[in-house]
Amino acid sequence: MAYSTAAERPARVRRVRVSGSERLTAYGFLSPAIVSLSVLSLVPMVFAIYIAFTNFDANHFLSYQWVGLQNFIALFNPNDPLFSVFIPTLEWTLMFAVGATAINYLVGLFLAVVLNNPRMRESSIYRSLLIIPWAVPGLISILAWQGLLNQDYGQINGFLHIFGLPAINWLGQPFWARISILMVNLWAGFPFMMTVSLGALQAVPAELHEAAAIDGASKPQQFRYITLPEIWKLSLPLLIPSFAFNFNNFNAVYLLTGGGPPRPTNEFVGYTDILASAAYKMTLTFNLYNWAAAISVVLFIVVGTLSWINMRYTHAFEEADTQ
Amino acid sequence: MSQQLLGVQARRTSSKVGVRPHRRIPRHEAVGLWLSRVVIWFVILLTLAPIWFVVEAAFNPTNAYFSLGLFPSHPSLGNFAYLFHQTNFMVWVKNSVIVGFSVSVGQVLVTSLASFAFSRLRFWGRKYGIMVLIILQMFPNFLALAAIYTALAKLNLLNELWVYMLILMGGSAFNIWLLKRFFDSIPKELDEAAFVDGATVWQRFTRIILPLSRPMLIVIFIFTLMGSFSEYILAGIILETPNNYTLALGMYGLISNQFAKNWGDFAAAALLSAVPLAVTFGLLQKYIASGLMGGVKG
Repeated sequence: MAYSTAAERPARVRRVRVSGSERLTAYGFLSPAIVSLSVLSLVPMVFAIYIAFTNFDANHFLSYQWVGLQNFIALFNPNDPLFSVFIPTLEWTLMFAVGATAINYLVGLFLAVVLNNPRMRESSIYRSLLIIPWAVPGLISILAWQGLLNQDYGQINGFLHIFGLPAINWLGQPFWARISILMVNLWAGFPFMMTVSLGALQAVPAELHEAAAIDGASKPQQFRYITLPEIWKLSLPLLIPSFAFNFNNFNAVYLLTGGGPPRPTNEFVGYTDILASAAYKMTLTFNLYNWAAAISVVLFIVVGTLSWINMRYTHAFEEADTQ
Repeated sequence: MSQQLLGVQARRTSSKVGVRPHRRIPRHEAVGLWLSRVVIWFVILLTLAPIWFVVEAAFNPTNAYFSLGLFPSHPSLGNFAYLFHQTNFMVWVKNSVIVGFSVSVGQVLVTSLASFAFSRLRFWGRKYGIMVLIILQMFPNFLALAAIYTALAKLNLLNELWVYMLILMGGSAFNIWLLKRFFDSIPKELDEAAFVDGATVWQRFTRIILPLSRPMLIVIFIFTLMGSFSEYILAGIILETPNNYTLALGMYGLISNQFAKNWGDFAAAALLSAVPLAVTFGLLQKYIASGLMGGVKG
């Protein structure tokens, strides 16, 4: 196409000349997003970071002072009451975020591999049925699960009863409450992972398999050395936000257990509280804004660093310098 | 129907081409296939059983929901009647629909403008912009609560539905990234050709990029819609009077006060509000799958 080369040249020249105005146009396009993100994320964030270095709580509501690193030292000082709030909560938060993401992904991937069988002609029907939990707003399904898991009236225990199994105190015992949270999260979360994995599976180029088959690779070998790495590469950019999302997954915990059952050792956080719900309670229930802010800053550093490393590693969120 | 036809066609071709027409599927593959089916059926059963329990509770008038049968013994619409006559259910639905649709439209606009800039324009901050925005949004946003609440109280803007909507409309870095990836998969030649023909940047955006991205815009719309139906924290601090309650607040109230008494009513409300969304979601399923994977080329 001779036409295109002729057309490209003036475009190049023109772009260089107007690059200043192109930049202005770009900021124009970006401004609604930037302004709203600044007002709703950046300003409160700066405010919270500032609060984390003060003694701002219900007792110092009007006259709070700069206390330096005191709140952060307290978080990591075994003799401080804040320590017994923070460390166990941090442990469970990590367990929950890593566990929920990994379990959901593995189950989703497994189902995707099973459904991707070309001989299973009706698999699109199965997929539509399995996607239903994703189609229900999370708040509704989590609250419904709270009812289903009720020890005395809940239908899950009713169901166990049919098989002669004893009723389980799902939301009242630390161990079972944690299992419940992971279970409900799996129920609501695997369809997303399944969809992502199916998309990735179908994006694996067929030539790779053909080439491997010619080289004598068996079906399991092809799966292990071609399919899996390809899926991993394609789904990683979606796994990272999912991990970060779970790290802050307030609804999954607060709407199901309210953070309970309570810990005998302190009144502030329960066995299933993650840092997000702990910070929420610190703010709204106990008015310990400085503790909440300090916890959030640590939370942000952990999630932010992990995500940043992952993003650099996958390059998924970067943009090439040249167009 | 069409699937059946396709199946027949596929079978015909395979028997024509097949090397062993008398045994089209090797035995071990047939066994594997049936094993897979059994596993999938089992998973479907586990997935749908809880939903069935909720449906059952919605039609069970007694609220003594330890009914062990597959169907409620005396199904009735009592819970639904209670919902319409004794609660503000219709007000919650109205508010949620207003909030949901406005917020989703707003989000699609904000997101598509920003994504276009990231995909097609050059400016300082383009390379790491989205990454920085995504990381910034990982800061726990409920910490904004104290700040937002104080600010709104000072400005006398609490308990206003439009204020709540405006706050939810803020840009989402993840959506910007998803849509930008989709824009990237549209060949640049298409809009650059228009540019050469004298189209302005705005025309490139509205006449070429946006119409081609309709599937992805629908995906972002539905994700935002679902998200707004689940938003509880901000609604809880901003909306104070019952006539401003959204479904999230109303339903949380239903189940957290006098839990056992209201379980049937809650189930009815859950059913009524989830079904329209779930059907919409189901109809858009193919867009969602391709949208999430969009632009990623293996």
